[in-house]
Amino acid sequence: MQTEHAIVASNLTKKYGDLVAVDHIDFEVKKGEIFGFLGPNGAGKTTTIRMLTGVSIPTEGTAKIMGYDIQRQTVEAKEQMGIVPDISNVYSELSAWDNLIFTGRLYDMPKAFRRSRAEELLKMFGLYERRNEKVQGFSRGMKRRICIAMALMNQSSVLFLDEPTSGLDVQSVLIIRDLIRKLNEDGLTIFLTTHNIEEASQMCDRIAIINHGKIAAIDTPEKLKRMVESLQSVEVAFEAMLPDTLKALEELPSVSEVVRQGDKFRLFTNDPSSVLASTWNYVQSNDLKLITVNTVGPSLEDVFVKLTGIKPTTADEETEKA
Amino acid sequence: MKNKHSSHVGREVRVAWAITTKDMRTYYTRPPSIMFGILFPFSLFLSFSIGRSTPVATLIPVLIAQTLFFSSSSIGPVVIPSERANQTFDRFLTSPVSLLAILAGKTLAGIIYGVGISVIPILVGMVFFGSQIAHIGALIACMALSSLAFSAMGIMFASIPGQTPGQVMMPLNFVRIPLLFISGVYTPVGVLPTWMQFVSMLSPLTHTIELARYALGGETFFGPFVNITVLAVYAVVFLCAGIRFHIMNQRKE
Repeated sequence: MQTEHAIVASNLTKKYGDLVAVDHIDFEVKKGEIFGFLGPNGAGKTTTIRMLTGVSIPTEGTAKIMGYDIQRQTVEAKEQMGIVPDISNVYSELSAWDNLIFTGRLYDMPKAFRRSRAEELLKMFGLYERRNEKVQGFSRGMKRRICIAMALMNQSSVLFLDEPTSGLDVQSVLIIRDLIRKLNEDGLTIFLTTHNIEEASQMCDRIAIINHGKIAAIDTPEKLKRMVESLQSVEVAFEAMLPDTLKALEELPSVSEVVRQGDKFRLFTNDPSSVLASTWNYVQSNDLKLITVNTVGPSLEDVFVKLTGIKPTTADEETEKA
Repeated sequence: MKNKHSSHVGREVRVAWAITTKDMRTYYTRPPSIMFGILFPFSLFLSFSIGRSTPVATLIPVLIAQTLFFSSSSIGPVVIPSERANQTFDRFLTSPVSLLAILAGKTLAGIIYGVGISVIPILVGMVFFGSQIAHIGALIACMALSSLAFSAMGIMFASIPGQTPGQVMMPLNFVRIPLLFISGVYTPVGVLPTWMQFVSMLSPLTHTIELARYALGGETFFGPFVNITVLAVYAVVFLCAGIRFHIMNQRKE
């Protein structure tokens, strides 16, 4: 089916009784994109992915995968996708080889083809030598790779990845990110949900931020950062500080907030040049010595915090809330 | 790449069989399958039959029926909650195959398990206690329909959204154990009071025991035609209800 979009979600909604987990969301993912889906815990990320992949039936709305409606053209839509859920849902009692072969059988792939595809993927993921070992003896990173390989068995056009690097060691994270980039270069559309804002910023062509079941923003990482110009900041560090430095910096004109980060201060403003000038005046009048001055644009984390309204809380506050 | 010239039905059958063989390899030797599917019916049988003056050969149909009942109905409640816990059940839901094919594969795994285990008492009866198959057709119908009905019953109960076999086995046993006492397992239906005979007729297990007795040369109170009809109706009802409940689960997901 000819379509420029790999995924189209229209008015997608999921209700659990009175709770609206996903609230009439609309978005499109273009073919060949890496699309990030960011949100705090409980925002509706996994519910959305479960509706897009046919595990959960939407209360309202539709989802199309490569032009096929997941509810009405279920088989055709599911043939287009591979899914890597948030936990590695491999069969621990089976070998790596048998896991892939079983996946091939689920997709009704001919025997010779599923064998050659399994071999190709196990080699690609560096697991061919251990193909006959039961997966239960594998490390978490290896299980994750097997899980991704299983999702690629059917040569899907769209790959859904739910927290693919969560809880993995650094080496496994790097291997998986590299694999995702290579798969995307080969034309695979990737729908990536993650908590890792830096990962989303580095890897995604576009990002949707979901909060309380609603899409708060969708754009490229750089454009999202520009949405919150007020989160520009000036970062300064002094060789030695005065006891009232923090208070003095907070009182500078055009400074909306000052955050201490280690030995640095981050002065949030929508007018960095004015803040630079007043900081310089403060330094000179107090005979201080600056060792670092940077103007810093908003990070994706700043955008995320601004749009979702999440605030750092202490353990006591969390307990009180509970 | 899909199988060339594959019809929709052919594809569904192949995928269902793939699920069956995977379940056989993965779950038949799991402790809950062995406990609820093998040890449970044999222990119950021994506890009710030891010390009785009844000849062993006449108890063989009881053991056949009990193994069919417990073994077939145990596989779904072991497999599906375990797969829900490690999210492998989602793998089926996201694969290009209908829920019917998925549940058919699971049901077939229960059927094969039940038939496989119940062959043991038949062989033991024939080799050691002189049991003879008088009506082979009745035996085949008994094993095929009973294992189908009970396996489908297990799949239906497995729609209870638990993540451990115990969460499904407990409510299932609330139904299975009382059925033992109203199904003429140890007291033939013919000697029960009339109201109990009516209750007994509603139990699928009654008809499994009756057919097994008839197949081994005994008598059936309701007659083999009624036995076969009731088992077939239960098989259809459990299959349809199982599918319906699993769809309802998907809506709640």
